Amino acid sequence: MAKTVIKVENLIKTFGNRRVLDGINLEVYEGETFVIMGGSGCGKSTLLRHLIGAIKPDSGEVRIKDKDITQLDTHGMDEIKKRFGMLFQSSALLDSLSVEENVSLPLKEHTKLAPDIIKIMVKMKLGLVGLRGFENHMPSELSGGMKKRVGLARAIAMDPDIVFYDEPSAGLDPVVTAVIDKLMIDLSKKLLITSVVVTHDMNSVFRIADRIAMLHKGKILQIGTKEEIKNSTNPIVQQFIAGDVEGPIQFLTKGDDYLEHLTQ
Amino acid sequence: MSVKERNEGDVMVLDLSGEININTSPDVRKCFDKLIKEQKKKILLNFEEVGYIDSSGLATMVEMMQRMKRFGGTLRLTNLTDKVRGLFEITKLDRLFGIFPSEEEALKDF
Repeated sequence: MAKTVIKVENLIKTFGNRRVLDGINLEVYEGETFVIMGGSGCGKSTLLRHLIGAIKPDSGEVRIKDKDITQLDTHGMDEIKKRFGMLFQSSALLDSLSVEENVSLPLKEHTKLAPDIIKIMVKMKLGLVGLRGFENHMPSELSGGMKKRVGLARAIAMDPDIVFYDEPSAGLDPVVTAVIDKLMIDLSKKLLITSVVVTHDMNSVFRIADRIAMLHKGKILQIGTKEEIKNSTNPIVQQFIAGDVEGPIQFLTKGDDYLEHLTQ
Repeated sequence: MSVKERNEGDVMVLDLSGEININTSPDVRKCFDKLIKEQKKKILLNFEEVGYIDSSGLATMVEMMQRMKRFGGTLRLTNLTDKVRGLFEITKLDRLFGIFPSEEEALKDF
């Protein structure tokens, strides 16, 4: 049986009077690519921020390798963070630093490795993401897809066990998205990395996922394999996959509700 | 992580043992520093007891090879587990290093 590396139990988070996460339970297994999908505002980014320890829940647990990270202090969290990498939606590169300097940042910050060793490691990571020879380029000289790849090289700089991806295909065309997807699959299989991906790009979801969690209004509607999600009988899941305007996911308020809303 | 030295003819064999990772690779590098100073020309790294090597360990091997090249030295690797060999292959380092299935075959190649 696959080993559980992330376990979320009864996670609840409220902003103001809005419950953004409403009793989330899920498990992520070692080596798998686990996708959290759902529409805008469904709570998936908030869930991701809990998984990386960026925010604390109102209640519930987030266990990474059996350690409840919601209870960790800053030092404890720093130690756990060394074991995972993060690819941000915007790539989050520092524009004033070269590609090499960006990728080497976590190594310089968290290790005592010699500069010559870090240099070789950075070149190896850039080779893995297909950017050999781009060490001295500045982020402004790169395309969106290349920036994502630099971000990915930085995410794997410390040889993490887990990599979190926040909307990896945001702002990329379909071909570049497919390239990034393939890279994510290759890296996770070759380097045995557990991947957690937050996205609403259905093409990506069905390319990369081993298992999928469908999030809606702060609750998990269903967790399953690609086939299970494709064949789901849940009308909300089906509407989301098909991208239909009509269905249980309502964007336009109708009738009396709308009138009440406008005149309140 | 431990490194034990032994001589097989004119070849220095290093028996590596444990995990080579961000915490332990600086120690391996220190052992290498000493051998570089001594200008050991033939070195065989025995990976039989190495369960895992991360990219800092791989980089340490690459640096060692480069430093030895400067004085005409040769570095060979042997007894890699499938997992460790896989990591050399992913990073395409298997193309750089002479990797041998047994110590006997590696020693013959020097």
